[in-house]
Amino acid sequence: MIVSASVLVPSIGFGLVTASILALAAVGFTLQFGVTNILNLAYGDVMAAAAFIGYVLNKHGASIAISLVVGAVFGAVASLLLNRCLYMPFLRRGTKLFGMVIVTLSVGIIIQNALLAIFGATFFTYKFSVGSQVHVAGMVFNGSQILIMGLAVAAMLLVQVVLTQTRLGKAMRATAANAGLAQASGIATDRVVDVAWLLSGALCGLAGVVLVLNTSAFQSTTGNDFLVIIVAAAMLGGVGRATGAMVAALVLGVVTEVAAGYISPSFKEVIAFGVLVVVLLIRPQGIFGQAAVERDLA
Amino acid sequence: MNATSYYLTTLLVYLGVDILAVWALNLQYGVSGVYNFAFIVFQAVGAYTAGVVTLGSPSQNGGFQHYILGWHLPYPLPVIAGGLVAGALSVPVGLVALRKLRTDYQAMVMLVLSVIATLVVENVTGLFNGPAGLSLIPQPLTNGVASSSLNYQWLYVGITAAICGVVYIFVHRVTSSPLGRALRATRDNEAAAEALGKDVFRLRLFIFVFGNAIAGVSGAVLVQFIGAWSPGSWLYVETLVVLTAIIVGGTGNNAGVMLGALLVPLAFNEATRYLPTIGRPGLIDALQWIVIGLLGLVFLWFWPRGIIPERRRRFARQAARTGDAPRAGEPQLADPVV
Repeated sequence: MIVSASVLVPSIGFGLVTASILALAAVGFTLQFGVTNILNLAYGDVMAAAAFIGYVLNKHGASIAISLVVGAVFGAVASLLLNRCLYMPFLRRGTKLFGMVIVTLSVGIIIQNALLAIFGATFFTYKFSVGSQVHVAGMVFNGSQILIMGLAVAAMLLVQVVLTQTRLGKAMRATAANAGLAQASGIATDRVVDVAWLLSGALCGLAGVVLVLNTSAFQSTTGNDFLVIIVAAAMLGGVGRATGAMVAALVLGVVTEVAAGYISPSFKEVIAFGVLVVVLLIRPQGIFGQAAVERDLA
Repeated sequence: MNATSYYLTTLLVYLGVDILAVWALNLQYGVSGVYNFAFIVFQAVGAYTAGVVTLGSPSQNGGFQHYILGWHLPYPLPVIAGGLVAGALSVPVGLVALRKLRTDYQAMVMLVLSVIATLVVENVTGLFNGPAGLSLIPQPLTNGVASSSLNYQWLYVGITAAICGVVYIFVHRVTSSPLGRALRATRDNEAAAEALGKDVFRLRLFIFVFGNAIAGVSGAVLVQFIGAWSPGSWLYVETLVVLTAIIVGGTGNNAGVMLGALLVPLAFNEATRYLPTIGRPGLIDALQWIVIGLLGLVFLWFWPRGIIPERRRRFARQAARTGDAPRAGEPQLADPVV
């Protein structure tokens, strides 16, 4: 196959947009896991729910900015409630790792089908102007794609600053590393966990809205369809590692879009899965992770 | 009356298929702690295999569908082939997924595999005929009996029951043997089992392959009855239905999971297909899934051991001395964990 620049360069452009959405989603996913050790398989469905909330607002004349903000707030609150009212009680009751997988998956199925029951099995589109096209080094972006990339970069910087520069971030990382020790050292781990779910939920909601902004049409399963790539990015980056998830999102976003340009768009997830399998075989802890040991649940 | 019998026989065949499925997944999840979220893939593989070894040449009927093999195997070879192919395919998957991964990683990898398998099948039309799947799969043993007649329906119920009986012998042999004890040990305490010289990875690989072979058989039984196969009916969420049935019935208990098969997939999934449609199309389906999800959550919360819990196993001497109730401070086998 001849690698021609006419396919490669625009594909990289698409890849950067996908990577931005993926970074928002994967960092949220990985944070939830890092701090509470829960693999939240309802994540994609919370994304879809946020997208639908944004859609309802948009349909009644709200601007995209409002949809984004409300989507993020919804994601934050919904995730906090999910963790407080469902996941944590199950953990305290002694549900083990795999039991939690069933719990989160059941929650996802419930959310997804509630959306289906409310909105029906058709496709939806936001009403907005995609803005004028911008050419950057052979890549073409429209206004909304620039917005998505800007949002992602800003959110990633913010997450990075919060995690590394603030006391809260330090407390979060301490809780993730060893919740018992963190609590013994005077960190209010319950509050830290709440904040972590708020923050990651906001990223989740934001990711949901930008995901559907970038696709021509969405439905109740759109968020869940994206979950495969989110999981792949989180595992590739080393589950629980925000920086790892960012880098992995960039890699996977570009690789899957370039592959889509050359092979077929329907194989994006297959390629993400291929990467995932290779990572699991060679380095199960992810590129940036430390050994994924079976540790206590928070 | 005829319609009722027809309906009843159809449900009975579905029940048989569901029972085979819960036994198989229970061996993996309930007995051995192998978290196989790709279960449905192996059922689908068995079904596909049984289809293509009975369909005959792909060029017949104007060659409207593409598939591999295209044989005309006599019954019951297609069912056995379904089990063998599903089992064989489990080996490479198990070799990758059952390595020392955390249980939730394992589950996630299997789940992703299930999603990807659907994607691949729908996109590789040469192999699997894409989203359309296969149709016109011939029903077996139709000599002398019209395949649409009620007699044939009852014949198929008999075939399904016979296969369930044969499979149960295998399942029971595994769960009641030292092998079953070793499997339960790896589930309850992996480190201890390893310390006692059990090869945990090999045990898990064995039960993964064995369970998936039964899954393949169940898929074959189903596809030869309904005569059609499409990737859209083997989505990853179907595995959750089987899992929910196991949790509701009683994880780790062969009789319990049978009850689960009767309550969950049959009562909720199959019976409602015959309800009149209310609301917009797809509404009943959506509500049904919500109920399945809630059922799993409610049981995990209130009755995590299910309706008929797994029997607590004790050493014979100890049980004889203490009667049913264990004395305080006496060493006991751990409760099964979810």
